[in-house]
Amino acid sequence: MKTRRYVAGGIAILASLVVFVVPFVFILLTAGKGRAEANQLEFTWPTDWQLWENVVEVWNTRDGMFLTAMINSVILTVASVSGMVVLGAMVGYVLQRRKGWWTPVANVLILAGLIIPPAVVPTIWVMQGLGIYKTLPGLVMIEIAFGLAFTVLLIRAFVANIPRELDEAALIDGAGPLRLFFQVVFPLLRSVIITVVVVQSVFVFNDFQNPLYFLPGNENATVQLTLFNFQSQFNQMRNLLFTDILLITIPPLLMYMFFNRRIVAGLTSGAIKG
Amino acid sequence: MLSRKIRARRLGAVGTVAIAGLALAGCSGGGGATDDESASGPVELTILIDSTEATVSTMQGLVDAYTAENPDVTIELENRPQGSEGDNVVKTRLQTGDMPDLFWYNSGSLLQALAPEQTLVDLSGESFMDAVTDTFKAGVTAGEGVYGVPVGNAMGGGVLYNKKVYEQLGLEVPTTWADFISNSEAIKAAGIDPIIQSYGADSTWTSQLFVLGDYYNVEAADPGWAEKFTANEAHFADTPSAQLGFDHLQEGFEKGLYNADFGTTTYADALEKLATGTGAQYPMLTFAVSEIQANFPDNLQDVGFFAIPGEDASDVGMTTWLSAALYIPQGGENEAAAKEFLAFVASPEGCDAQTEAVGVTGPYFIDGCDLPADLPPAVQDLQAYFDSGKTFPALEFLSPVKGPSLEQITVAVGSGINTGAEGAALYDDDVLKQAQQLGLEGW
Repeated sequence: MKTRRYVAGGIAILASLVVFVVPFVFILLTAGKGRAEANQLEFTWPTDWQLWENVVEVWNTRDGMFLTAMINSVILTVASVSGMVVLGAMVGYVLQRRKGWWTPVANVLILAGLIIPPAVVPTIWVMQGLGIYKTLPGLVMIEIAFGLAFTVLLIRAFVANIPRELDEAALIDGAGPLRLFFQVVFPLLRSVIITVVVVQSVFVFNDFQNPLYFLPGNENATVQLTLFNFQSQFNQMRNLLFTDILLITIPPLLMYMFFNRRIVAGLTSGAIKG
Repeated sequence: MLSRKIRARRLGAVGTVAIAGLALAGCSGGGGATDDESASGPVELTILIDSTEATVSTMQGLVDAYTAENPDVTIELENRPQGSEGDNVVKTRLQTGDMPDLFWYNSGSLLQALAPEQTLVDLSGESFMDAVTDTFKAGVTAGEGVYGVPVGNAMGGGVLYNKKVYEQLGLEVPTTWADFISNSEAIKAAGIDPIIQSYGADSTWTSQLFVLGDYYNVEAADPGWAEKFTANEAHFADTPSAQLGFDHLQEGFEKGLYNADFGTTTYADALEKLATGTGAQYPMLTFAVSEIQANFPDNLQDVGFFAIPGEDASDVGMTTWLSAALYIPQGGENEAAAKEFLAFVASPEGCDAQTEAVGVTGPYFIDGCDLPADLPPAVQDLQAYFDSGKTFPALEFLSPVKGPSLEQITVAVGSGINTGAEGAALYDDDVLKQAQQLGLEGW
C-alpha cells in the first residue's frame, strides 16, 4: 500500500515536471542562444550563452518600450481585476439575495456577456463618443466589462452557500446595507475572490486582442504586444522572442511565489463548507 | 450591453467596402481638433507601420534622414503586428477614423480590400509621383486615383539556389522547366535535397511560389490573362498555362524531388538548408536574402537566384512583387506635412536613406535611384532580370482577385493529396467567393 502511494506520487511529480518545467527550461535555453541557433528551435544547450545580451536588447528595443509596456500591463491588470472583484461581488450578492421580476432579465444579460463575442468597431465608436478611446481607463473598463459576466456567475453561486441568517443578524445589530456588504459579506467571499483574482489576472495580463484594438499607440503598449516586435513572416528572432517571454513571465511568477500559501489557503477554506 | 453585443460580428467580416464608407461618414466629426496646419511651424507626424525588423529599420532610416533636414518636423513610428491581425488593425482604424497621418501597407490586392477610393487621399495630382515608376503605380491604383508611394525594394519570385551545389555538380541555371527537373534529378542523385518545400508551422505561405511565381510564363503564353481572370472569362483550371504552376507542384512531389521532411520544415529551417547546402533549390521571394544575410552571413555569397523557368527557353523572365507603400488616410490633420514627407520618400535622397539603413534586396521603384556596387549574388541575379526588362508583376498586383485559401490548396497539391488539376479547380472556387464579396462585374 505504502509503496504504491510512493509510485503514484513519483509519477505525479514526473508528470508535473514534464508539463511545467520542461517548457520553462526550453524558454530559458532558447533565450540564451544567438539568433541563428535559436531559430532552429532545438532543445539543446546554447553553444554560447547570450542571455544577458538578449535581455539588454529586448529592454532597449523601440526606445525602452518594454518598461512602458510592463508598467501599463501591471496597472491594467491591478485596476481591472479590482474593478471586477468589487463590482462582481456586489452584483452577485444582490442577484442571489434579492430576487424579483428583473432577475431573469439580468441572468440573460450575464449569459449574453459570456456567449456573444465582442464587436470591435461598434465598441470603438462608443468609446470615441465617451472620449475614453486610446486611454488606459477606457481599456480597464473594457476588460471589466468582458470579465464581469464570469465573475458574477462564480460569486453568485458562492453567495448561495452563505447562510442568510448572517445577513439578518447583522441587520438586527443595526448594520446598514453598505456596512452589511463590505464588513460582513465581502470578507466571507474571500475564497471565491481569490479564485477570481487568479483566473482574471492571468486573463487580463495575457490579453492580446483588446489592447491591440482598443489601446493603440506605442506609449500605450502592453507586454503581450511587445512580442510582435520579434516575430513576423519573413524575419524571425526567436532568441529575443523567448527572452521577451521569459521577462514577461517573471511578474506572474513572483506574484504566485509570494501569494502561493494564501491562494491555496483561500481555495481550501472555501472547500470545507460543502 | 446587450444591444451593443447583439450587433457583434466576427471582426474579419467587418472589412467590407460598404461598412468602411459608412464608418467614415459617421465618424468624420469625432476627431475634431486643430485645423490643417501649414507646413511651416513645428509639426508632429505619426506613421503606423508593421513591427517587423526590416520595416522598422527602413522607416527609421527614412525618418532620421528627413528630420535631420527638417528640424521642425518630428515623426513618431507606431507599431502594429503583421499578418491578418495587422490587416484587421488597419481596417479597424480606417473605419473608426483613427488612422495616424501616414501608414504603411501592402500594394496590390490587399490594398484594394481597404476600399482606397473611400478611405485614402488620392496622390495622382502630386508632382512627386512623377518619379514613381509606372509598374508600381499600377499596383496602387484604384479607379482614377493613385494612392501610394513605394518604400523598399522590388522583389522577385523565383528559385533561390545554392551556387556551390550547382558548381560541384557542374549544373547550369535552367532556362526551361525540363532543364529544371533534370538539374533536380542530378542533385538528387548526388544525395542532396533538390527542391526545398516548407509546409511547417507558420510557413505554409511558402508553398504558393510555384503558382504565383509562374505568372511571367502565363502572361507570355496568354497576354492579358489577368484582365480575363478579373472579368471571370479565364480560370486556372481552363487555361493550360495557368494550371502549369499547380502541375509543377504535383510533378515535384511525384518525382520525389522535395526534402523528405517538407511537412514539418519551417521557413527558417528551409533557409538554413539552402544556405548550408543540404538543400539546393528553394522557390522563394528574393526578400529572403535579407534573412540569410542576418542568420548566415558567411553563406550569403553561396546563394543565387533564377526565375521560375517556363516552357520556352528563348523567353525567360521573372515575376516581380511590388514593395509596400505609404498611404495618407482621408481626414488627417497634417495632410500637407505628410505629403512633404512622401515627396522625400519618392526622391533619390529617400532611396539613399533606405539603402544606408537596411541595404538593398532589389531595385527601387523610384526613378533616379542608384544601387550600391557590392550587392549579394542573388540580388545581382535579380537586378539582371530588371536590366534586361524581362519582368512582369505577379497576378496579385494586376487583379484584385486573390483567393484566401491558395496556400492550403498548394500545400495539398505539393503533399500529393490533390492533383494539379484538382488544385486549380479548387482555387477557382476559392476565388469565386472573394470576387463576389468585392462585387466585381461578371461574377
